[in-house]
Amino acid sequence: MNPRICFYFQVHQPYRLRDLRITEIGHGDVDYFDGNKNEQIFRKVAEKCYLPANALMLEMLEQHPEFHISYSLSGVFLDQCKEYGKDVLESFQRLAATGKVEFLAETYYHSLASVVSLEEYCEQVTKHVRTIEELFGITPKVFRNTELIYNNEIAQIARLMGFKGIIAEGADVHLQGRNPNDPFRPSTFRLPAHREKIIRENRPLPKRARDIAVLLKNYKLSDDVAFRFSDKSWVGYPLDANTFTDWLSNSGGQSVNLFMDYETFGEHQWEDTGIFDFLHSLPAIWQERGIKAVTPSQVIADWNKEHAHEYDVHDTISWADMERDLSAWTGNHIQDAALQSIYALEDQVKMTGNTQLIEAWRRLLTSDHFYYMCTKYWSDGDVHKYFSPYESPYEAYRRYSHALADLRFRLSA
Amino acid sequence: MSMHSLMFGWEYPPLHLGGLGIACQGLVRGLLGNGVKVTLILPHESETDDAEVRFPTYEFVQKLRVCSMLQPYNTFESFEANIRKVPKNKKDVYGNDLGEAISNYTEMSVKMTEDLNPDVVHCHDWMTYEAGRRSAAHHNVPMVAHIHATELDRTNNAPNEYIYQKERMGFDAADRIIAVSNYTKNVLVEHYGITPEKIDVVHNGSSDMPPSHELLELKRTQKKQHPLVLFLGRLVTQKGAVQFLEMASIVHQTKPEVNFVMAGDGHMFEELVDLSCKFGLQDSVIFAGKVGSMEAKQLYTEADCFVMPSISEPFGLVALEAISHGTPVILSRQSGAAEVVDDCFQVDFWDTAKMADCVLTILREEPLAHQLRSYAPRILNKLTWQHQASHVQSVYTDLIHCES
Repeated sequence: MNPRICFYFQVHQPYRLRDLRITEIGHGDVDYFDGNKNEQIFRKVAEKCYLPANALMLEMLEQHPEFHISYSLSGVFLDQCKEYGKDVLESFQRLAATGKVEFLAETYYHSLASVVSLEEYCEQVTKHVRTIEELFGITPKVFRNTELIYNNEIAQIARLMGFKGIIAEGADVHLQGRNPNDPFRPSTFRLPAHREKIIRENRPLPKRARDIAVLLKNYKLSDDVAFRFSDKSWVGYPLDANTFTDWLSNSGGQSVNLFMDYETFGEHQWEDTGIFDFLHSLPAIWQERGIKAVTPSQVIADWNKEHAHEYDVHDTISWADMERDLSAWTGNHIQDAALQSIYALEDQVKMTGNTQLIEAWRRLLTSDHFYYMCTKYWSDGDVHKYFSPYESPYEAYRRYSHALADLRFRLSA
Repeated sequence: MSMHSLMFGWEYPPLHLGGLGIACQGLVRGLLGNGVKVTLILPHESETDDAEVRFPTYEFVQKLRVCSMLQPYNTFESFEANIRKVPKNKKDVYGNDLGEAISNYTEMSVKMTEDLNPDVVHCHDWMTYEAGRRSAAHHNVPMVAHIHATELDRTNNAPNEYIYQKERMGFDAADRIIAVSNYTKNVLVEHYGITPEKIDVVHNGSSDMPPSHELLELKRTQKKQHPLVLFLGRLVTQKGAVQFLEMASIVHQTKPEVNFVMAGDGHMFEELVDLSCKFGLQDSVIFAGKVGSMEAKQLYTEADCFVMPSISEPFGLVALEAISHGTPVILSRQSGAAEVVDDCFQVDFWDTAKMADCVLTILREEPLAHQLRSYAPRILNKLTWQHQASHVQSVYTDLIHCES
């Protein structure tokens, strides 16, 4: 039997920092973020990816009854839609109106809160769920943590928050030869009472879920599209939609989970690579061969939980870099200092009740800020360099540390 | 059979004024280490200086000295000043102007190497190019012109026509050019009309050791009342001495307790003293004068931040020296060193406000300073002279194979 296909796309834009100077600190009303640059990048990606890709998705959803997709739109992306791209937001709303698109829950600020502050984590997920309800009229039922950061505890917390499914990376070391296309169940254990209490008091959904399914990214087939599609040295180049469908149907299991950055379409893989044509031809081929494209909730609805294998992840994993751990955001001195310093201000910031201040603090929690400070492969000019708006990890830290210093000043004033 | 490089040098430790001598020595040692035979011709004021030149592999280098008054950073004016100090009878050897001195140097150095049998002739900077050209022609072997600094770097784009022409002649005559950075390669392409294909970039190496763990720990834990920001270089336009003071005055406004040391001498000394007073920095800037290697070591170690604000810097070995002493560096983007050092701040030389901000950030943020101190030295393990010399060696091999 053919497996089904589950598409999920991550859509996110951080608020990048301005070239802040020490001389501005403590002068009140300092804007930390680079409005011009953020708008510029947002519009560039909108024209190259969001708008053409959404138009194509809409066409495919309308033409093919068995074609469904899902998105995770970060809260800071939605904020930027309101500022720089009402057209983009409206195009997502049109997609939602087809009733064939699922929206996933995540941390509003695309933050690392899940591994630092449980309270902040719950508050951000709740804020995100409310925003999705408000903008799209749908309540998310499946959770996707920032950059697929995942461990057993994160899965349990998601269940206690009320989610029936969670998305994670299908890491070989944890799969141990099992097929990532089958939904798994997380290892079960009880959280300490005080942690359960925090979740109960900040729960985004009305009640805890009985069970939670773990949907794993099929990284080989996902990366064939996301990373290798235009790689001329790749043995699979050029990738043909029929061949790719063969690979999908031969990979077995219940559903092939193709999870990727939405920018794959038009931004990481430019239009002239033929990525849009490739995408466009998939649903027709799938329809012909009886392959359905479904949402994560549809996969979970048909899940045979009694026979599910356990996905046991003690150390935290993610979908980032070769290591697929937290080392994209933590580990060097400046990353650790920045992360520690910003979360150290949590209580003080919240106590002010100053919404502007709280918002600025939260925008500084976005994981990208720490990603830009990564020095893992800096000298080899790797993807961190490619994705960074700054010239070096040290420039990223310089700006960030000024924002922190100003925040501290505002708190002490 | 091992390759034999006939090298026309210019300055050599301990008789050196700048990076060229150190680079030349590093390269020679690296080549020797890789099994290349090197004959090095050096000009010197007096042959008695020979006794001061010592290093372990000394016996493997054939050093032939040419009696000459040449100094690497000569200008026509300073040469004239030197020549007046010379006893009358010696003047005949050097000639009355720089041009004549070079032609004498060329004459003698070519002549005294006539009976050698090199595989390649390798010459360093403009003063030796004519000697290199003639020698290569005589031996009928390829010529490599190494460029450590151009006249445009030294004069802030107001070149002495005579020197500029000498450089062009050398570049045209050479079969291959080695530039110490992409920055310098671009200068050659843009301002000397050299085709990029003719130029190989071999960054300078470093013989410096990474800082010890103890030194890094000491620096991490010590608290200073008066942080120290260091400049080390000749006090000339090219090195960005004025930019350093501008940066200092901005830092001073935010953090008056910071001290600045300017080590080096040069014709701008008086002007810089005036300027520092004008900026109100009379109690914050210390002019240390020209420092020896021990003093330099001391300053690097004590500094909390090293700034190289050069307006045009083909490489900038001082950056690597500072790094080897566990000191965070801020480098001018108009430099070759900025191409190889990852763990540093890089700023345009004219953006002194940003330069000041980087200094202040390093002084305020210990985790940042610690990371710069401990990560930057990784470059020293990569850029060894042995390693860089092997690049030069492959340039030789290419040329020799092309010729035969």
